[in-house]
Formats: sequence, C-alpha cells, structure tokens
Amino acid sequence: MDRYGMQNQIACIRSLFDQGYLDEQFIQLEELQDDANPNFVQEIVTLFYTDSTRLIQNIELTLNSRPINFSKLDDYMHQFKGSSSSIGAKKVTSECAVFRQYCAAGNAEAYIKQEHAILRKKLEFYFQMMGQAAVAQTT
Amino acid sequence: MAHTLPSSDQSSDQDKWDSGGLECKGQLLIKIVMRNRLTALVVDGDTTCWVQEQELLHSYGVQTLGVDNSRDAVDLIASDAEFNLIIIEKILPVLNGLEVTRQICEIGVRCKMLEVTACSGESERQAFLAIGVDVFIEKPLDPEHLVPILREVDGQ
Repeated sequence: MDRYGMQNQIACIRSLFDQGYLDEQFIQLEELQDDANPNFVQEIVTLFYTDSTRLIQNIELTLNSRPINFSKLDDYMHQFKGSSSSIGAKKVTSECAVFRQYCAAGNAEAYIKQEHAILRKKLEFYFQMMGQAAVAQTT
Repeated sequence: MAHTLPSSDQSSDQDKWDSGGLECKGQLLIKIVMRNRLTALVVDGDTTCWVQEQELLHSYGVQTLGVDNSRDAVDLIASDAEFNLIIIEKILPVLNGLEVTRQICEIGVRCKMLEVTACSGESERQAFLAIGVDVFIEKPLDPEHLVPILREVDGQ
C-alpha cells in the first residue's frame, strides 16, 4: 500500500474511533485478519449487518405488537448488544443499554436504527477506502 | 470416543505451528506459546459472535466446533464428544444457556466451561457459577480473559 493510501486509511479509522463509533475490539478483528483469512473484517462486518438488520425487523415487530412482549424484546436487545460488541460497534452497543429508557418514551426504535445506519455508512466508506488503497498498491 | 472435529484454518495453523508450540501474533492479541492443540465447543445463536469467538480461538491454535442452538450442543456432548473448553451464551434457541449448562454438567462434562454473554446481572452470574460454569465473561470474548484460561487448560 502506498504511503498516501495508508495515511488516508489510518485517518479514516481514527476518525471512527474519535467519534466513538468503534472501539478496541475492531482493532482486534483487524489483527485476526491474515493471509489465510484476508477479508475477515469485511466478512464479519457484513455478517453483522445481515444479522442485525433481521434483529431490528424483529424488534420493530415486537414494538408494534400489543401488548409488547418485553421478555422477547429483552432477548433481541441482548443479542443485538452481543453482536455489536463483538465487532467493536461501541456506540450501537452503548445505545442498546439505554434502549429501555427510550422504549418508555416510544422512540427507541428510531434511535437504534439511526445509530445503526450511521455506523453502516461510515464502515462502507472505510471499506471503500481500503479497496482504493489496495488498487493503488497494485498500480 | 472423541468426536471428529471439522478442521480449523489448517494452512494458517500449520504455518504458525513449530516444534515447541504455537505463537500468536498481534499487539492486542496477547502472545503465548501453546504446548498442546486444544479443542473448544462454541455455543452461540448469534453468527457474528460465533464467528468472532471461533476466529479468536483459531488464532491460538484451538480447533473449534460451533453450534447455534442448545439442542445440538446437548446432543453433541451426550454423544461423547470431548472438548477442552466449552463456551456458552446465555440466550439460545430451544433452551436457554442456564438450562443447557445444567444438562451438560449432568451428563458429567468436566472440561472448562465459560459463560460468554452480552449483558446480565449479578444474580444471573451467581446462577451460572452455581451450576458449574467456571468463568463468567461479558462479551466480547477478548485475549485478556481468554489467555489465562488457555494457559490453565494447556497446563502452563
């Protein structure tokens, strides 16, 4: 990877850390990536978004049902917190912990979805940059 | 009879395996030298967590088998599959983690058992420890918590 590409990549990921979207767990994922598993980070993040999108749909259904099944909701939020913490999605993880407070106010769903969508955009930009850096390296 | 496990990342593990042991790379990934090739069962219904935990274990040369529901976990243990380490999440399809752990302990499993879960209170922690879980860890599973356990199981 050329120097410019590396600097851009570092700046991008540092920004995600500075803004509190990612924590050290994400660095650990990058360290687990190696020649035998070169796309591990992108694969696990993609997996997270597939699983969590489904979880959010389940949360939506649960919130829209009457009466609300809080036990089921707790289980979904438990899973959501677990998988987001596994990829280092710091902000999403911490918002899961305050979910119940917003639940009472009736706007929990919108809040979680907003954080989820923001992180997704930022991670897509990061992977786009990594792709550009890889291309720059080969040219 | 030990259950035949699907192989882990063998080419990567072969590269890292030397005559003395297995070294782990990285800065956050704490470096240790393993004497033995350990085996682990990972029981978690969430794929992201399952993948992360197994990859972390693979990086230490641990051969893993993952199941995503409690029924498969109990059936596996009941069929005499043997592991050095079992990692269980609290919320699981079919039976909850506490019940699965109880059933596994009743079968007579004596290996190291780790409860790795997203959130819980002190009463839940105590409940798991009371039925035979050795260590209770909040997700994500990280080297800081895993390495001392691996060292102990490895006889270091």
